[in-house]
Amino acid sequence: MSKQKAQELRKDYWSFRPTEAYGSLGTSERGLSEQEAQERLEKYGHNELPEKGVSWTQVLLRQFKNPVSGILFASAIVAGFFGQLEQSIVILAMILLSAILGFYNEYNAEKTVRALRRSVSVKAVVTRDGRPSEIDASLVVPGDVVSVYVGDVACADMRIVQCKELEVNEAALTGESFPVEKTSDGLDIQGPTPQQLTNYLFMGTVVQHGSGRGVVVSTGKRTEFGSISTSMAESRPETEFQRGVRKYGTMLISLTMALVIGIFVLNTAVGHPIIDSLLFSLAVAVGLVPELMPAIVTISLSQGARAMAKKHVVVKRLVSIEDFGNMDALCTDKTGTLTSGKISLQDYWSLGKAKDARTLHYALLCNGAVTGEKITGNPMDVAIWEYAIAKGIEGEIDSYTSVDEIPFDYQRRMMSTVVAKDGKLTLINKGAPESVLSRCKYAETDGKRGPIDSVQRLIDAKLAEYSNAGYRSLAIAYRMMNAKTSYSVEDEVNLTLLGFLIFTDPPKKDAQQAVAQLNRMGVDVKILTGDNELVAVKICEELRIPVKRVIRGSELTQMSSTEIRSAVEEGTIFARITPEQKLDVIKALRTNGHVVGFMGDGVNDAPALHEADVGISVDSAVDVSKGAADIVLLEKDLSVLADGIEEGRKIFGNTIKYILMGTSSNFGNMFSAAAASIFLPFLPMLPMQILFMNLLYDVSNMTLPSDNVDEEYTKWPRRWDIGFVRKFTLFFGPFSSLYDFLTYGIMLFIFGASASVFQSGWFVESFWTEVLVIFVIRTRRIPFITSRPGKWLAVLTLSAVAFGTILPFTILGHFLGFTSLPVQFWALLILMVATYLLLVDAGKVFFYKICKL
Amino acid sequence: MTPYPNLMGFWAVCISWSALFLTAVSVYLYMDTRKNRRQDAHAMGGLRFVRDFVFVWILLGLLGLYIVSIDRGSSVLFASGNLVVEALLIAYTVKNRPPKGPKTEERDS
Repeated sequence: MSKQKAQELRKDYWSFRPTEAYGSLGTSERGLSEQEAQERLEKYGHNELPEKGVSWTQVLLRQFKNPVSGILFASAIVAGFFGQLEQSIVILAMILLSAILGFYNEYNAEKTVRALRRSVSVKAVVTRDGRPSEIDASLVVPGDVVSVYVGDVACADMRIVQCKELEVNEAALTGESFPVEKTSDGLDIQGPTPQQLTNYLFMGTVVQHGSGRGVVVSTGKRTEFGSISTSMAESRPETEFQRGVRKYGTMLISLTMALVIGIFVLNTAVGHPIIDSLLFSLAVAVGLVPELMPAIVTISLSQGARAMAKKHVVVKRLVSIEDFGNMDALCTDKTGTLTSGKISLQDYWSLGKAKDARTLHYALLCNGAVTGEKITGNPMDVAIWEYAIAKGIEGEIDSYTSVDEIPFDYQRRMMSTVVAKDGKLTLINKGAPESVLSRCKYAETDGKRGPIDSVQRLIDAKLAEYSNAGYRSLAIAYRMMNAKTSYSVEDEVNLTLLGFLIFTDPPKKDAQQAVAQLNRMGVDVKILTGDNELVAVKICEELRIPVKRVIRGSELTQMSSTEIRSAVEEGTIFARITPEQKLDVIKALRTNGHVVGFMGDGVNDAPALHEADVGISVDSAVDVSKGAADIVLLEKDLSVLADGIEEGRKIFGNTIKYILMGTSSNFGNMFSAAAASIFLPFLPMLPMQILFMNLLYDVSNMTLPSDNVDEEYTKWPRRWDIGFVRKFTLFFGPFSSLYDFLTYGIMLFIFGASASVFQSGWFVESFWTEVLVIFVIRTRRIPFITSRPGKWLAVLTLSAVAFGTILPFTILGHFLGFTSLPVQFWALLILMVATYLLLVDAGKVFFYKICKL
Repeated sequence: MTPYPNLMGFWAVCISWSALFLTAVSVYLYMDTRKNRRQDAHAMGGLRFVRDFVFVWILLGLLGLYIVSIDRGSSVLFASGNLVVEALLIAYTVKNRPPKGPKTEERDS
């Protein structure tokens, strides 16, 4: 709970009598005057929650916030400073190309998200100057007297001053799926939690039954709902993927700086002009940097978002897709995510061997729900009707005539109706088992009536069994009546117990399959719920989730952070936990090195959605929850989770391909360029030629995000492993260097090449090997035979190779300093590149199999 | 006469260095992996080392071929040697390739 909110609650409004509550908030039963309301509106502001939007400038600027752009910018500035405008322009063109591609994809995705946000105007019935009127909820101020009815969403936090059978669904705030009974009486408690404040109405909660009036205590971001929502505006923690990219950037900068300084020093030491050495060093630096990495990542993510949108999954934060794929622990709320969030009648039972259908008939006859086009009322009464309609037995009560009704109230916790059939009058009673049983003298077993004491043990055992299994029960009893003018609670005595109704919040139909699929994909599912452990265990049983350990919120409170870190590994169910404890569990899992997803739909889930690497919500969730989520499932079908994870893994796979390929081949090429610059009497490649090759190489990689991914790659969660990237670079980089040196040898000692012929020959060889090696590195299988590349990747890569091949013969080539190459060179090149690709493929087998990586 | 004769020594050092660096990395990765998986550490006999490093032997053979053929300025030796090495690499890859995996996933484009 926020400090501000805690202070609000410490004002003890809950302990006052209703009349005192009016006074303490400077109002009365007649409400505020319009003038006072206006003054308070100016003082406290509108009753609104802050919305966070993203402008196009923010999205554009975001494209430049990465180490790759930093290195390139620095290089462009230095080149420009020393008068190499062409070099500077080419580098800036690379940065712009990457930024424009990234911006286009990301901004479109942002627009889609904004289109999703629906603005709903909420109204509230407010009494001012003694007159009730409907006003915009944003104009409600502290001290306003607000009336609420069935179906209303509370527009602010209120102290209830008057209520009649008021039941409120606070699932969105507390995770409790059953309605909470409200009262206007003062409460004698110290330091209450929101769940304990039964004389409060909280913003965002829904009136399920009855009606009431409340005095507004706090509005907008000062409400309980608002304090959770406001914490969402704080900056989000770095995701696993973002951490990986940052570590990769650091590695890249270190490598680049070391190489650039080394090349510059050595070139200067062997007598090359200082400016030439500096510009060449910068070109090598640019050559080392995978310029298009930010764009490739964004394109991959955007394509993934589009693919997921086809499956009715909205990705709000693109960067979360890869963590979605890499997620190995999914923490989920229970109500509304794994369960339907709607109470349903599971079954009914009678005391005898056979179920007595009258139990259900009587439940329909003693029912407060309003039936029509839509059934409304108390969720349990609605559930009884829905069950009867589903079974087709609702017509079986047509022969009964309603005579009278004794309404429900919270003292009795029961209701009764008197019905007539065939001239006989029956009083039917339905209510909380302990209340009904206390009024029963008899029980009916297989049609025979006997003293209830004879079956009391059976009843107690059965009720305990259902309670332990997480069910809620209602008892049904009756008594025959004589005709009289009116019936009252005094008639609710000497009842005969007939049976019980069993209610549950059932799991979603596809939840079991979805959970099993997640387990097969290496994702450990954990339940984090504010509900009790019995209900959570029952859901796990129904979903066949093996429960290793159940941890209650009260146990978590006693644990040190080290103990929590250990407990989260073992725990499958975390029951009766607060939103803050959900955060603790997620933080502990993340500290333990897991990529953590959290799925929830209520206000109380919003902080956890915010903290997790991937926050997942459902379309039926409250706005604050959807706002905090990275991913929103538009359909109730949970199987899309597995589809989304698979999509995330494919995207991650293709991003890693680019990084592995770019880092290793660039590293090799630039290393050989650096070495050659020391012993050759001329530069092995001009700075502009290096930059142009990089640009061409990047263009050839543009379709990498659409590449096919081997099925085995999507079987398990993958992680950013910077150690693996380093090993891969160290192993595959020298292949490229080896063949660069070989080309030097051929050009120098077989063809006796001049500077321009040498540079042209090395450009072509370097480009062929750098681009074509993607077909080998992109898979662990046999390239083309057991793993086909994506169509567009193949087309663009081969087109780029063709362009690079003819470049030395073109005007552009001549402008860049290239010249035609001898025919014999091409024959040797084909042989050499074929050997190179086979060598890398064999090296790949060695790397993955012999080294067991 | 070989053009740029004074560069031959530098060149031979560079190409040898890259091949030897690759060999050193291979040995490092091999040893590092086995160090982390103690069950394999005891099983590493001399024969196993020779067999596991066939790829490295081919690589070093290739280096010899390249240095000799270029030193002699012989494109015929270079081409024929390449063809032999390619055959060896294909044989190595086929022999050591893991069993065929499941179908490659097509990406929606």
